[in-house]
Amino acid sequence: MLERLLEILSEVRPDLDFENETRLIDDDLLDSFDIISIVSECNDVFDVEISVDDLEPENFNSAEAIAALIERLQED
Amino acid sequence: MTFVSVPFLILLLAADLLYYLFPLRHRWLVLLAASLVFYAVNSGLLTLVLVATAALVYAGGRMIHARLFSYKTLLEQEPSLTKEEKKSARDRSKKQAKQVLTLFVLVILGILLFLKYSNFFAGTAVSLFTGGKGVYSPMKLLLPLGISFYTLQAISYLVDISRGKADPEKDPLRLLLYLCFFPQIVQGPIPRYRDLGPQLAEGHPFDPDGFCRGLQLILWGFMKKLIIADRIATPVSAIFSAPENYSGVMAFLGAAFYGIQVYADFSGGMDIALGAAQTFGITLTPNFTQPYFSTSVEDFWRRWHITLGAWMKDYVFYPLSLSKAFGSLSQKARKLVGPSLGKKLPSILAMFIVYFLVGIWHGPQWTYILYGIWNGIFIVGGLLLPDLYEKGRRLFRIDEDSASWRVFRMIRTFWIISVGRFFSRAKDTATAFAMIGSMFHNWYDLSPLSNGALLGLGLEGPDWIVLAVAVLVLLYTDNLHEKGVKIRESISRQPLIFRWLIYYIAILLVLIFGIYGPGYVSGNFIYEQF
Repeated sequence: MLERLLEILSEVRPDLDFENETRLIDDDLLDSFDIISIVSECNDVFDVEISVDDLEPENFNSAEAIAALIERLQED
Repeated sequence: MTFVSVPFLILLLAADLLYYLFPLRHRWLVLLAASLVFYAVNSGLLTLVLVATAALVYAGGRMIHARLFSYKTLLEQEPSLTKEEKKSARDRSKKQAKQVLTLFVLVILGILLFLKYSNFFAGTAVSLFTGGKGVYSPMKLLLPLGISFYTLQAISYLVDISRGKADPEKDPLRLLLYLCFFPQIVQGPIPRYRDLGPQLAEGHPFDPDGFCRGLQLILWGFMKKLIIADRIATPVSAIFSAPENYSGVMAFLGAAFYGIQVYADFSGGMDIALGAAQTFGITLTPNFTQPYFSTSVEDFWRRWHITLGAWMKDYVFYPLSLSKAFGSLSQKARKLVGPSLGKKLPSILAMFIVYFLVGIWHGPQWTYILYGIWNGIFIVGGLLLPDLYEKGRRLFRIDEDSASWRVFRMIRTFWIISVGRFFSRAKDTATAFAMIGSMFHNWYDLSPLSNGALLGLGLEGPDWIVLAVAVLVLLYTDNLHEKGVKIRESISRQPLIFRWLIYYIAILLVLIFGIYGPGYVSGNFIYEQF
């Protein structure tokens, strides 16, 4: 899943190194438009419902964190 | 009692003294007493509106929390439930919590809408239904101090509880303090409960360095307000009160000067607020990070009135963009306008709504609404046209990292933001459009800058020099901040004599060059009226 997620992330922001970046939100690398694009794409592709309640910096600071959020929602 | 008054300084220092004399765990009571005194002096009986709102918010917070976790009782009573049944119980609780949240938000927002906006809506409706012939006599409604600010704080508190991101406050008086903490009630910043609440509740031991830095920041705020904002207010008023007399570069200067005035006024007020809070050991969220160094309108709004932007993002932009209604709209739009634009549509719509709200939040006037929409157009433009920008850059072989390109973008952003200021300052929309039109008349003629026309704006030569030097100092310090230099910490590291010399000079500068005198009352802060 991580690979597919990395593809989605790179489509939204080709200029960022999602494999190594761990402060995507804390360092303001992603803006609110990027977040919405990522969330709606992930909702479609992974068939989950990332809601506004999940929009916490710790859930979006790295690709791993986003993957963990998706896995958590898939298990629910 | 405004920030720039002796009574405010007396209240602050008396509160500081009592704060540090009280036992640690009771220190918050001093803050509450000082805040209520400040509020009652400014708003009189309207303090009751604040107290009633606080009571509502308190009750709302506890009820939402109780609903949100009501499923736990069921789980305890029936531990054998399946995973699906547990999930469904949790979802039900969540839904109930949202219903209670909606009710309370509507009531709290209703108070603001009634007091601040009912005349505007009624006047607009009368004008619409009578074809502009009907006359609406507005009701006389007084606004409680800071209602536009504490209403947003109240909503964020309740929504955060419903999202499970915060626990409700147990003590109603502490919640009241969160809503009316006196350094921040007049014009923000707009704090979140989880950031400010615990800081207010815990008593802070006296820290001489922090206390001193707080006072430094207050002094810096006074300098911005009294030396720059209240001085530049004179030419701004001259231009905006007789706009028909000014065109070309002079009309543009009206808006640009107003931009400087608002920045010095609002960020000066913020420095006083942050500094006052810091004397109690409390850190408020900064509201500005050198906005005039922005390279795009989007960047500007990340640096200007940060806490309002952050509030709008968390409580309007994200919920709207991710709502089911916007989602299905996006699905339909993908078929009509193609997948690329269709995907962006929810964000674009939500962003327009945000900037409409940012505009109308400033006040119930069409000028403010247009001010919001003007900014929204450029933000959305930035979202829709990145490919076009990229092609333009390649066509003109622009090196994106070059200093000249950066300076060009800063000037361009300043120009766009300044033109938007015509809407926020002109007396009505027709005047704003007329001024924007006249700005293009002989725009290339820069002779008014040197032919003495500036001296006809109500300021004498020496005042212009003081103003120019002060604005350059402000620009210089902003540039240092932009480079990450911590000025107050550097001053603190200086030898004692040098430090005191700086303080004396700063105080003398405010006393000598501040705009005031016998019988002079410093202009109210612009953001107090919002």
